[in-house]
Amino acid sequence: MDVTPKYKGSFVKPLKALSHLFREPVTLPMVPRPASDNYRGFHVNDWELCVGCGTCRQICDNAAIRMIHIPGLPDDPAAGLKPRRPAIDYGRCCWCALCVDICPTGSLALSREYVHVSPDMNTYFILPDEKGIHGLNFPKGWAKTDDADLLDLARQPMPQRDPDSRGDNFDEIVHGYDDQAAILEASRCIQCGMCHEACPANMHAPEYIRAIWEGDKERAVREIYRTNPFPEVCGRVCTHRCETACSIGKRGAPIAIRWLKRHAMAALDDERVRTIALEGKVEDRTGKSVAVIGSGPAGLTAAFDLAKLGHAVTVFEAKPEPGGMMRYGIPEYRLPYDRLDADIAVIRAAGVDIRCDSPVGPDLPMDKLRDDFDAVMLATGLGAGRSTRVPGTDHPDVKSAVALLDAITRGESIDVPGRAVVIGGGNVAFDIARSLARLQRKTSGRVDMTLVALEERDHMLADEEEVVEAREEGVVVLNGRGPRQVVLAGPSDKTLGGLETVRCLSIFDEEGRFHPKYDDGDVMLHEADMVIEAIGQASDTGYLGEDLTEALEWARGRIEVGADGATSVSGLWAAGDMVEGPDVIHAVAAGHRVAESIHRFLGGGTTTLEAAE
Amino acid sequence: MSSQHGEGHVSAKDRLARMKSLEEILNTAMAFEKTAQTFYEQLAGRVRKPLRELVAELAAEEKRHYELFEAARDHPETEAHIRERIAVPVNDHRFSDYVHMPALGDHPDDQAILQYAMGREHAAHEHYADLAESAPEGPLKELFKFLSDEELRHKGDLEKRYYEIVHSGGV
Repeated sequence: MDVTPKYKGSFVKPLKALSHLFREPVTLPMVPRPASDNYRGFHVNDWELCVGCGTCRQICDNAAIRMIHIPGLPDDPAAGLKPRRPAIDYGRCCWCALCVDICPTGSLALSREYVHVSPDMNTYFILPDEKGIHGLNFPKGWAKTDDADLLDLARQPMPQRDPDSRGDNFDEIVHGYDDQAAILEASRCIQCGMCHEACPANMHAPEYIRAIWEGDKERAVREIYRTNPFPEVCGRVCTHRCETACSIGKRGAPIAIRWLKRHAMAALDDERVRTIALEGKVEDRTGKSVAVIGSGPAGLTAAFDLAKLGHAVTVFEAKPEPGGMMRYGIPEYRLPYDRLDADIAVIRAAGVDIRCDSPVGPDLPMDKLRDDFDAVMLATGLGAGRSTRVPGTDHPDVKSAVALLDAITRGESIDVPGRAVVIGGGNVAFDIARSLARLQRKTSGRVDMTLVALEERDHMLADEEEVVEAREEGVVVLNGRGPRQVVLAGPSDKTLGGLETVRCLSIFDEEGRFHPKYDDGDVMLHEADMVIEAIGQASDTGYLGEDLTEALEWARGRIEVGADGATSVSGLWAAGDMVEGPDVIHAVAAGHRVAESIHRFLGGGTTTLEAAE
Repeated sequence: MSSQHGEGHVSAKDRLARMKSLEEILNTAMAFEKTAQTFYEQLAGRVRKPLRELVAELAAEEKRHYELFEAARDHPETEAHIRERIAVPVNDHRFSDYVHMPALGDHPDDQAILQYAMGREHAAHEHYADLAESAPEGPLKELFKFLSDEELRHKGDLEKRYYEIVHSGGV
């Protein structure tokens, strides 16, 4: 192609071009200028702090964040740890930093790095790295600060009676949240769902917390009843695994999920609760019958589910009232009987026939139940107390905590000891110490109650609030002491003198095995008129009879069951404390599993109440 | 002034009386394990099924120990020392007490069985630790140390199980 003279340029042009050869280039290198301190560059995430809750993903309006499963990371729902981390799509991110401001752990921040050039689109979708997108360790730009934090880390205080007004009676200690406190507490929730996965019964806590926040308590109760027929009980005494896993609890106080459940239940009258709880109940009867032995949380949960599915359910309870350890083990100041009765009334309203004073045994043998019913469930709990069996524990004034709590519930007359020592560091030990302290104050106006626990203060098995409240009520808690012997008042005096304890230096060995080491030079005598043992509980399965005991498979002393609670004997299930150890919410979860399994066994297919809703 | 009875109050005659050959010691230990194994096997027939697994495990552990001692006795290196005489610890009577296995009663529960088994392992551990102390440096000392550690390990396993069952709301 010919070039017109106009574009040919001057004849000196080549010389001009040569002159450029030695000039500095005008293009800049790809090294970014330093950004300001608060610059919002690429994300950085501290993987040690991050729990994989996904709150960053939820808040992102641009859908720029996805949670990616990372094999090998800790996967522990009970501790609130998920093996996933956020990946950012920088084609969508607008650097608003809401993900940083909402992050409950404070693991997410933005670096001051802002340049990324690549023809490969995939490189714009990345897992945040602690060192930044290019691993260049740019300093942090935007990070969470107190004034930018979107979370409220402080819990709404629970109003409760002071020690002076509660020390001589069994009235419930907590008053419950009012509407304002409940809404404020619910508003702290970030809806991450870690609580749902930590709960053994997988309660829909995010949903009912949201309903409370929106002021819709009927919906809250409906959400609660999807998975738990003991909301009044669990709103008071649940071991609240949900709160342990709560993301807010990583830096602040976890959401008071248990107290919010209590609030929702208190807002509706019993009749309305009953109507909501029985929604979805199958009206057609299946013609099948199920016997449940034991009316604790596992037995009654299974009974409730099965009754709602149309089966005829009869519960056989040995004691005068239903509820198992919820009634005969937990003092009323923690769980008022009328609230337990409210939960049980709903279960009865579903059609469950609860027969009290009906122990299975010689008058009502297992064989007859297995003949008369299409399926049988064992849920008899851990009703017997363990003894330390140190010398002297066969003295008549050495009592079992479980037996004493049972007697208090029954309203039996108890010789209240002027001075007492409780052995044990779990909730049962505190239950009996605080109950007897109340009776002491009531009868003599003074408390002389000592609790000795092997564990040190930081490793107590009991809930923290139990320890704090017991001390407020006058119980002397001595940690790191093991029982050595029960002593008599004198060489020729057969009355109880007290308990001798020895300093426990450590409970576990280097490998975490129970191996208490004592300092024999540090011995104390705790003078007492009664010693109460509260170290553990045992199951009494004598009612099964020899033949059935032989037919069943056992593992480590417990009836062996599958994941659905089915035993090795056809038509027989077992669940609850007798299988898993003591815990209400675990028992509720096990009750659901058993009900589902029995329903299938009876020809009900795979339909579950949750799925039917 | 030195005591006319020698070390402490133990006479030379007593010391000689407390000297046993390695063969005797290993035979006593094997008898100890064999008696325990038989004891647990017989107990398994008396207890209810929920406890039978525990008792059977204890019997199997004693059997394993017996075979361990048997292998030790028949090992060429041990055979070379088999006639050596070793000072037997003062608490030997306690070890022997367990060889005779005091009665546990007709219907022991899991706690009683575990307490008994732990006591027994403890006595065995101390016995072998004392033997290791008095044995000359070399393979014999190593053997007794190994046996002592073995009993201690088993006692540790039993203690963990005891805690789970008795202190943690087991059955």
